[in-house]
Amino acid sequence: MSTTDIDVVTAEVIRSAMETICFEMATYVSRTATTPILNQSNERNATILDGQGRLAALSVGIPQFMLSSTLPVRFCLEFLEGELYPGDVLVANDPYHGGGHLPDFNVFSPVFTDDGELLLVASIQCHHGDTGGALAGGYNVYAKDIWSEGTRYPLLKIIEAGRERRDVVLTMRANNRLPGFIGDLRAQVGAAQLGAARLGEVIAAYGADTVRAAVDWTIDDTRRRFRDEIARWPDGTYESDAYVDSDPAGNNDIHVHVAITIDGEDLVVDFAGSDDRPDINAWSTFGNTRGYTIAQLASLVDPSIPKNEGFFDCIDLRVPAGTCVNPVEGKPVSAGTHHPGVEVGDAIALAMSQILPERCAPQTYKYGAPRQMWGDVDPRSGRPFFDHGGEVNAGWVNAVHGVDGWGALVASNGNLIKAAAEINESLFPHVLRCRNYLTDSGGAGEWRGGCGSLFVKEVRTPTRVNQYVVNRHHLHPGIAGGRSGSPDSCVISEGTEREVVVAPTVADVPMEAGDRLVYRFGGGGGWGDPLDRAPAAVLDDVWDEYVSIDAARDEYGVVISGSLEDMTLTLDEQATEALRASMRERR
Amino acid sequence: MDVGGTFTDVVLLRPDGTVVLEKSPTTPGDQSDGVLAALERLADSEGVTLAALLDATGSIVHGTTTGDNTMIQMSGAPTGLLVTEGFRDEIELRRCYKEDIWDPAYPAPEPIARRRVRLEIPERLTAEGEIDTPLDEEAVRAATRRLRAFGVTSIAVVFLHSYVNPVHELAARELILEEYPDVELVSLSHDVYPKPPEFERTSTTLVNAYVGPPIVRYLGRLESRLRDAGFDRELLIATCAGGVATPEAIGRRAVATIGSGPTGGVVAAARAARDAGLEDVVSVDMGGTSYDVCLIRGGHPELTSDWNWRHRYCIALAMVDIHAIGAGGGSIARVDRGGLHVGPESAGSEPGPVCYGLGGAEPTVTDADLVLGRLDAAGFWGGRRALDVDAARDALARLGRDLGCDAEDAAAAVVRLVDAHMTDAVRRVLALAGVDPRRLSLCAFGGMGAVHATTQAAALGIARVVVPRAAPGLSALGLVSADHVIDATRAHLSEWRGVDLAHVNGLADALETSARAELASAGIPDDRIRLEWLLNLVYPGQTFDNALPLGRRPGEPITAADVAASVEEFHRRNEEARLIEARSQEPMVRGIRLVATGLVDRPSPVELPTTGRAPVPTGKRRVHLGDDWHDAAVYDARELGPGPEITGPALLAYPFTTLTLRPGDVARVLPSGDVVVDVCVQSRSS
Repeated sequence: MSTTDIDVVTAEVIRSAMETICFEMATYVSRTATTPILNQSNERNATILDGQGRLAALSVGIPQFMLSSTLPVRFCLEFLEGELYPGDVLVANDPYHGGGHLPDFNVFSPVFTDDGELLLVASIQCHHGDTGGALAGGYNVYAKDIWSEGTRYPLLKIIEAGRERRDVVLTMRANNRLPGFIGDLRAQVGAAQLGAARLGEVIAAYGADTVRAAVDWTIDDTRRRFRDEIARWPDGTYESDAYVDSDPAGNNDIHVHVAITIDGEDLVVDFAGSDDRPDINAWSTFGNTRGYTIAQLASLVDPSIPKNEGFFDCIDLRVPAGTCVNPVEGKPVSAGTHHPGVEVGDAIALAMSQILPERCAPQTYKYGAPRQMWGDVDPRSGRPFFDHGGEVNAGWVNAVHGVDGWGALVASNGNLIKAAAEINESLFPHVLRCRNYLTDSGGAGEWRGGCGSLFVKEVRTPTRVNQYVVNRHHLHPGIAGGRSGSPDSCVISEGTEREVVVAPTVADVPMEAGDRLVYRFGGGGGWGDPLDRAPAAVLDDVWDEYVSIDAARDEYGVVISGSLEDMTLTLDEQATEALRASMRERR
Repeated sequence: MDVGGTFTDVVLLRPDGTVVLEKSPTTPGDQSDGVLAALERLADSEGVTLAALLDATGSIVHGTTTGDNTMIQMSGAPTGLLVTEGFRDEIELRRCYKEDIWDPAYPAPEPIARRRVRLEIPERLTAEGEIDTPLDEEAVRAATRRLRAFGVTSIAVVFLHSYVNPVHELAARELILEEYPDVELVSLSHDVYPKPPEFERTSTTLVNAYVGPPIVRYLGRLESRLRDAGFDRELLIATCAGGVATPEAIGRRAVATIGSGPTGGVVAAARAARDAGLEDVVSVDMGGTSYDVCLIRGGHPELTSDWNWRHRYCIALAMVDIHAIGAGGGSIARVDRGGLHVGPESAGSEPGPVCYGLGGAEPTVTDADLVLGRLDAAGFWGGRRALDVDAARDALARLGRDLGCDAEDAAAAVVRLVDAHMTDAVRRVLALAGVDPRRLSLCAFGGMGAVHATTQAAALGIARVVVPRAAPGLSALGLVSADHVIDATRAHLSEWRGVDLAHVNGLADALETSARAELASAGIPDDRIRLEWLLNLVYPGQTFDNALPLGRRPGEPITAADVAASVEEFHRRNEEARLIEARSQEPMVRGIRLVATGLVDRPSPVELPTTGRAPVPTGKRRVHLGDDWHDAAVYDARELGPGPEITGPALLAYPFTTLTLRPGDVARVLPSGDVVVDVCVQSRSS
């Protein structure tokens, strides 16, 4: 470790420069990749690590994935110690060597000092649309093992000392169905090379010792600020349980249990007691579980604390092997990345709501697995098409103390700029008929959960569908007395003789031209007692059809007369007081 | 004419290249009062009547902050929205974007149109522009009646794929006007932003509908007052891209004025920096209310488009990239729970700082600068407003009682704090761009920019400051000397090989006709118009348009060979940048873009004669500079020319501002009259 003294201003300038480089890497992918999930959805996570594989900086992306993308790099630094050279670029996607699931490809490039010391690593992780394996799309939720999900690449040098390895590109091309795969991968390679070059400029400008000292300073700063927060939390052990309705195979009630122990400025997060049935298909790898854990904890503290290894240093994370949140090698993981990955975040939020209710809101979503729709012929071009979904929808945004749930997704997904109808309709043969908010879908509370949405996609040509749906029974939780949001449901070819209700999965289901996929996305949980919500706020919600007159009365105890159609809605204050009093009494 | 938060500046550019600056307090109730008052002052100082001045004036370029103020106060027109059925909530969904991914308690933006006045209309076009569901005309009528009953006066219409085929939006406008003839404004999305995707277009169109009526009312008042005063040529309005537009064009696209206020200054700052031989600079504009920071690299401020967020809404038009914080001369200083806070609240021009004597009671940065001797109590505002030092001192003494110090120490604390806020703002902007401030120069302008420039530069480690001669009115100067730029796009989605050339040429002709008409009305002769054609291309699935040069021969239609050459260039650039096999993909055409530039004849700048004589101070003043009090020589900046340097501590007094030189700072005057200061970075105390 360096002992170089560094002034705060220089350290801040270098830290900001690194965050900017992350931003530039992510932006580079957006502008050069061709798959919508990369160039529209922002599902690309740029990070900078130091020579020990410690997270030094991150920027745009999704918190849980940015925070989890350190482990593949760390594996590389150990495995290829002494065999890494300037100009190298590596690819890794293996869940059992630090990754989350096979579609997430990490691409990274080491940066050396003039003396040949590996000082920094520029890394960019992106989600790809195929991984080889038994089913197209990279989400074989029926897989019995990791090998049926696709090809594992624990570590490959795709660029060796500045030269592309044609044998590696050939192998990767041969193991992927998508013609654009190599192009997208090269977009990532270009981003990693850009990041490495920019980091080289920073090292040249400030000197290796100063850069090393700046990384130490920023990690120390985060560690200190996070520990200060922990020290203010009341000591004790706080437990909670969260569940997935069922895995894609139909095993019910996948269970995540967490016990969080706070002792002074020490924090232990222990998942002992989580589901350990060996035959389920709901496995969140250690790296994935770790990412969701840190992301949820980070949402509870001062948002201005820089996100880096300092967070990890403060948490004693215990995840017993063989549980659904740390599978033994070989288990399939593509479904488990999201569920029970997401439920890790839910469980942390529920446990922490016992002591920090004001800050608690699960930073999660209930997507199941990404919807895939494909067909042999787009009638406009005569070519096959493959639509990965990734479109805008609203769902699962909890209220927090003082703020109703708003927008489309939780804050932690706020960089996930999702696909637009006008662009997707020019690419795929469908018409999006609706994605409006659903009335009464947000969980009631003193602050109301955000509404879910009605998503209706009509296909213009024969199309096949894969879909996995969760949040049908175990619902997105409310906090501090707030109610759960509405459930999810998905019906394919609704209203036709081909109609299928998805419970919990369908695969390769055919739809005819004109058929509609109708997805009702669930609402967010409320915060606090609905009977404490200001009646005027409920009246406003009725004017805006977030809440119906009936729900205003039944859920909030607010009596509203008149009609929206005639624009005559009126709040009956006396009746409201009386109703609320009787509802409180009946509890 | 540039309307700031505190002062309205007018700059007269004479045929001989000389520049005359006047100022008058901004009148927030109706900005045209302040504009007319400033013009009166200008006529006075020229020794002519206002009518004679206006009669001799070739054109007036005007920058207004009406749109930004409307968004800051969320005081726009009651606005409603008609949308394609099923797309009622785009403005809330925001493509899932949220400003802070780490803060679950980050609040929603104030709504422009609440859900109750966002009404769905059965109609639908396909991506190819074909009619999938015909427009339900009765639904448009009923929705219009309902919006009217809700008190809506401005209606936005956003139908899917209208940029391909506007037929339903155009029909909706006719139906709305039939049902509601006195509606203030109908904003059609294909008119405001003729591009996909739907969220960006919805947000931009809604903001347009919201700010349009106040801006149109304001421009109408201003035009008629100028006409009454004797001006009969065209008034031009500054836009956010650093260009200008006619009031008629602004009437349809008022949103283009948002963010336009500070662009003039940045354009002029870029030029001043080039003239001073400085390449990369950070420009800081400190007025009474706000502090605007812009990075200028390679002599040009950068434009950003598509994903621009201003006032928490996406405004997708191309804009000069300026970052603003609430800090200026009018920023109010308060003690709260034992801590000192400065800004972001501003006393503005009414009541203004305590020293104005207009009823302001809370001390401001201007009051603190006055107590510290940095402003000339008698010479302020060109000597027209004597500042009341005693009143300022009393207010700061009251502040000092809460802080446990005297008035002068309180004043020094206020200035130190506002300097720190502004320094942090510069740091954030530069950090976003990954630029180390120590490699830049600082260009300071605005009424208060020069007062604080050397202190800020020292804190940032910046070695050189340039203060343009017209610094207090630089925004206004930039407006009259900027080239006129029209940057317009028409969407056309097609595979490149099958592109319908007749259709594309039709779009191109329409773009050219409208650009030429707009430039002609701005007084640009045909031979001073430069056209640059671009073809927007993407590989299938890419979101962001890539604009490639389109080698169209002047006066001839676009040919298949022109398109093929653009596509070839697109492949070539991608292969060069990404080492990829780009040719395996067939690009899509997304539209045609025209950048039409109207070149302005700029009078050559004045050259001041070099003098060998040392400048003679007009007096001395006790002033707080750096961290201490000094007896500083005071110079009349109007009398200075190229010649011997001036070393601080010193004050260079301009009619509308003061340049402070700390001990060790060295100033020299350029032939243009601009001043360059070599900042004594060492003398900075930590």
